[in-house]
Amino acid sequence: MRPERWQQIDQLLEVALDHPPAERDAFLTKACAGDETLRRKVESLLRSDEAAQSFIEAPAVGLAAEVIAERQARLRTGQQLGHYQILSKLGAGGMGEVYLAQDTRLGRKVALKILPTRFTQDAERLRRFEQEARAASALNHPNILTIHEIGQVDATHYIVTEFIDGQPLRQRMNDVRLRLSEALDVAVQVASALAAAHEAGIVHRDIKPENIMLRRDGYVKVLDFGLAKLSEAPPEIIDMHAPIAAKVTTGFGAVMGTAPYMSPEQARGQSVDARSDIFSLGIVLYEMITGRAPFEGESSSDVIAALLAKEPLPLAECLAEVPRELEQLVAKTLCKDREKRYQSVNDLLVNLKAVNQDLEARTNGRGVISGEVAAVHRTSAEYLLNEIQHHKRAVFLALAILVIASVTLVYFEWPGKAIDSVAVLPFVNASADPNLEYLADGIPESISNSLSQLPHLKVMSRNSVFSFKGRNINAKEIGQKLGVRAVLTGTVTQQGENLMISLELVDTRDNSELWGQQYNRRLADVFAVQEEIAKEVSDKLRLKLTGAETQQLAKRPTENLKAFQYYVQGRAYAHRRTREDLLRAISYCEQAIKEDPNFALAYTGLSDAYSNLGVRGYIEPREGRRKSEEAARQALALDEGVAEAHAALGLVYTHYAPFNFSLGDRELRRAIELSPSLAMAHQYLATSLARQGRLEESLEETLKARELDPLSPIIARTVVLPYYLKRDYARALELLRQADQLGPPFTTLLEFGVYVKNGTLDETLGRLEKAKLERKDDPLLIYGIGIIYAAQGKRAEALQIIKQLEQMSGSSLIQAQWIARIYAGLNDREQALTWLERGLDAGANAGFVKDEPVWDPIRNDPRFTNLLVRMGIAT
Amino acid sequence: MMTPSSQEVTELLLAWRDGNEAALEKLLPLVYDELHRLAARYMRRESPGHTLQTSALVNEAFIRLIDQQQVHWQNRAHFFGIAAQLMRRILLDHARGQARAKRGGGLHRVSFDEGAIVSEQCAAELIALDDALNALAAFDSRKRRIVELRFFGGLSNEEVAEVMGMSLRTVEREWRKAKAWLHHAISEGETDEA
Repeated sequence: MRPERWQQIDQLLEVALDHPPAERDAFLTKACAGDETLRRKVESLLRSDEAAQSFIEAPAVGLAAEVIAERQARLRTGQQLGHYQILSKLGAGGMGEVYLAQDTRLGRKVALKILPTRFTQDAERLRRFEQEARAASALNHPNILTIHEIGQVDATHYIVTEFIDGQPLRQRMNDVRLRLSEALDVAVQVASALAAAHEAGIVHRDIKPENIMLRRDGYVKVLDFGLAKLSEAPPEIIDMHAPIAAKVTTGFGAVMGTAPYMSPEQARGQSVDARSDIFSLGIVLYEMITGRAPFEGESSSDVIAALLAKEPLPLAECLAEVPRELEQLVAKTLCKDREKRYQSVNDLLVNLKAVNQDLEARTNGRGVISGEVAAVHRTSAEYLLNEIQHHKRAVFLALAILVIASVTLVYFEWPGKAIDSVAVLPFVNASADPNLEYLADGIPESISNSLSQLPHLKVMSRNSVFSFKGRNINAKEIGQKLGVRAVLTGTVTQQGENLMISLELVDTRDNSELWGQQYNRRLADVFAVQEEIAKEVSDKLRLKLTGAETQQLAKRPTENLKAFQYYVQGRAYAHRRTREDLLRAISYCEQAIKEDPNFALAYTGLSDAYSNLGVRGYIEPREGRRKSEEAARQALALDEGVAEAHAALGLVYTHYAPFNFSLGDRELRRAIELSPSLAMAHQYLATSLARQGRLEESLEETLKARELDPLSPIIARTVVLPYYLKRDYARALELLRQADQLGPPFTTLLEFGVYVKNGTLDETLGRLEKAKLERKDDPLLIYGIGIIYAAQGKRAEALQIIKQLEQMSGSSLIQAQWIARIYAGLNDREQALTWLERGLDAGANAGFVKDEPVWDPIRNDPRFTNLLVRMGIAT
Repeated sequence: MMTPSSQEVTELLLAWRDGNEAALEKLLPLVYDELHRLAARYMRRESPGHTLQTSALVNEAFIRLIDQQQVHWQNRAHFFGIAAQLMRRILLDHARGQARAKRGGGLHRVSFDEGAIVSEQCAAELIALDDALNALAAFDSRKRRIVELRFFGGLSNEEVAEVMGMSLRTVEREWRKAKAWLHHAISEGETDEA
């Protein structure tokens, strides 16, 4: 609709509304003057006016306030609540958000759940809930979650419970289809919990997969006893024939129950007893077995209609080979009439166990050993007995493993298989605690660092190895991809304050295990474990460690795991080299330093990032140089033996004109001496050699760097350099395309020269425009467009770009060298030389490479030669 | 948490009025935090089941956040406008979350968030209203503001008139027409036809 038309209708509507209803017809006939469309539109709006009497009259501000108030209950990591410190968020449900927290008083990890404000306003209901929750917890049943505290800070009510290392049944069901034996095992344990609770007169009321936790060791825990009481409708609504809508009303402000797991009596809003829990457990069991809910529907009311009226599909129709007894059992839990259901959970439990035992017997009879032995708990006494036997078995197993391991070590030292290269993969974090992720990344990083310091062993760089994180690991495949003889994999699990690390060293030629070991340590001792593992792995790799080398291995980069993790993340970003990535790297390294001000490595990360920001003109090159050098020196002051610090300092001398190659190369070679596997030291040396025109040596170093870190985007780009300078443009382009597969394109100056020489101008221009959408105002991309214009002979456009760069450069002439390049591309020798000279005066000629073809137009000019001398480049 | 000084908030408000868009970005979280605090208090004060229907909340936020000495009464309009928009955004986010949770459940398992403050039906209505309001704003932003202040901000017609500097008569007329347009758009599902 055109605005004028809209105005016309709105005005007519206004006047019509001013007329009494009886006169509107006549008015419209006259006013619309035969425009029937107009008339119909106004008439339909008049009808809407009548229908809209109460429409949106009641404001939604209260509802919005409720939403806001509800949101307040969200906590942030690190926040303190009473004597609990929030560590991370574990999940969120309708009954509140759940966090992993540290009990600072007792020094243990706990789960902390925030109760939604709307459930805590009624003091009486809150009291009843507390009473029931405590009563259930007091049963001290192994399948009932233990409550430590129900408390309140200001307006925030919370429950603190034991922290379960495991996952909710819901998640497990989403991830895999449960085996029948597992489903039965879970049902048995939930039923045991319910039996104990019912005996004490406590009904759960909200049994569902979200409230059932599977602990890593096989125990099942039922959560949230009594909690359902908080959200329930007030008890006076006990009407046998109350409409379903009473419970699931729609409209502003209504609260809904967990419809898919309700019993029919719950859905009707009737009183609830133990048999209601049996129905809900029946639904959960059905879903575990078949993978689908027994009562389905598009909406909550559809589901409720189904559970009130429909019979679920028999199990046999969803699954082959269902024992008849199980079919009957499930049907009996799901009887709509509670009088026909199991009358007590104990009855159900007896049948469940019988079915379970039959199943086990049959499976074993067929000679198939089920992967896990379902725990069957009969009475408390039997449970205890079981527990002891269980542990005994575990102890025996551990002993057996130890014995076998020692035997293996003595007799199978892999004669003749010298391992000269290894990749330490990120460990798998098999705990539910996301905080352990940093261990899973940090420990292998540390091992890999320690091993890098050993001569004669090639250790794949973290950066390359990191891309295998979270993937299914096939050692052979990785071996081929990275070119290593062995890979070390590990899994981290946590149980309470204990940490278990399982390691496996695998031969990549045939996927055979060379060595395996488990470490059980207290969480607090993690650095000691790290040291031990690093030493042990090296031993196993048959390296004769001299005394000095042993000392090196024992060196810890920092005592602070968080600091280490920040550093690792910072380094990962830095490899990508875009402005954003480099800034992120700086921020991570700064955080690492904040955690541990004496952490030398973090300063090296800072130094490298500043160097690279400056050389790309993202910050003033002089500032980049100054900050980079400062950080590198700081790192050396903290620890002279850190290879990365020497590399960083070497980079400063060889990155910024005027160069000091002798000093710089000495630092770089010292870094390599300290840590032969440090890929970036080889990479920096390669770049330095290229700047000096020593292309063969440069090539050799780039190849070493690539071998150590085949997946680093920036190292892949460095390999292009010697080929490009040797004017093998086709090969350079090929390598550049490969590098683009690894990370963001257009992160170095040299790339554009490769495209220009290969004549891929239009294509490159298109890609540049696309990249610009994401990297707005990136001077490197603007330069790229300028140099392509120059190559295309679009003089006016190129000059326009120069103007833009000039503006960006400001008085500090940040992009002077780049402007010189575009002028050279335009064959404007005078301007090219002038800008190059200006750049040098302003300290802006970072990253200069004399052999670059881009300088060919001015190469023979004496002023150019003079410039080289001033920059410290031999001619 | 640091409570911003009313000086600071007031300056941001004035800067935004003078066309500084960045000021709004800084202002929004501050207003949100204050609404947060007040909302929790109001919720405690109200008896369960009874919901807030007035602009009291926004009014109080205004008084607490803004230095009254410094601000000309017209600037109330800006503040109330921001608060109402914020309420609208928050409510809609929540409603969309609800709608997504439902859709995400798929055919086999309808996902019910028992913590929903807004029912399925209500969420759908809010989303429809929001769409219609956006369509209306394309032709008449004045009506949009009136609807926001009244429906999401809880202001009365008198308050809207004061805040927007219009006569009560105009507000009433515009409100009535806005309702007709919105109702029409939602019930007929047409928002932009000739």
